[in-house]
Amino acid sequence: MIKSAMILTSLLLFTGCAITDVQPWEKETLAKDTMTVNAGNSLFTKFENHIYFSKEGSKGGGGVAGGGCGCN
Amino acid sequence: MRFLILTLFLSSLLFSYQEGDTISQNIQTKLNIKEDKIYIIDFFASWCKSCKKEIPYISKVHQTVDAKQVEIIGIDVDKDIEKAKSFQKELKAKNTLTFRVINDPQNSIVKEFNPIGMPALFYIQNNKVVHTIYGAVDNIDKIILNDLKRLQK
Repeated sequence: MIKSAMILTSLLLFTGCAITDVQPWEKETLAKDTMTVNAGNSLFTKFENHIYFSKEGSKGGGGVAGGGCGCN
Repeated sequence: MRFLILTLFLSSLLFSYQEGDTISQNIQTKLNIKEDKIYIIDFFASWCKSCKKEIPYISKVHQTVDAKQVEIIGIDVDKDIEKAKSFQKELKAKNTLTFRVINDPQNSIVKEFNPIGMPALFYIQNNKVVHTIYGAVDNIDKIILNDLKRLQK
């Protein structure tokens, strides 16, 4: 009895973990500029990039292709 | 367990249009698709920057091709119809959106096609999906014209 109750509870908990994927046509919120790292703080980004570039001895490659909509 | 995974994988494929699939009667009616033409279905949205970049090139193709043989249909998947309308108005004012657009705020059309990314282009010939292009592609106008040449042979 206890065993079957435990199995049932586990199964119920398992179904509770179901997360549906965000489909490509549902990415409006994700495509917003505010969803980017350091959004709206260009000074901070510039400062962080300056440190990164001087440490790495290289520049570029920090951008992301597309508009955040899952394209490319 | 293997069977379950395989079933889930196959079912995900079954619910989206792949090359060679016949489109449903429902889609044929909604998009007013007939057998005598090649149709290019372009899925876009106002928030999709790559789509916005691509639309003028597709409009260029629309102005080049013979309307009796090829038709381009845009599907705006914006859930907010007002946003969709103002986006299209903005593009039309610049003369960069010249093809027919169907608004899909309920996402019923896009769900049936189930593209893996946006922008998405579906080529339809004789009610069958004959080719697909996903994501932003450079020189998309030239690519579409080449594809059309191949399909019209």
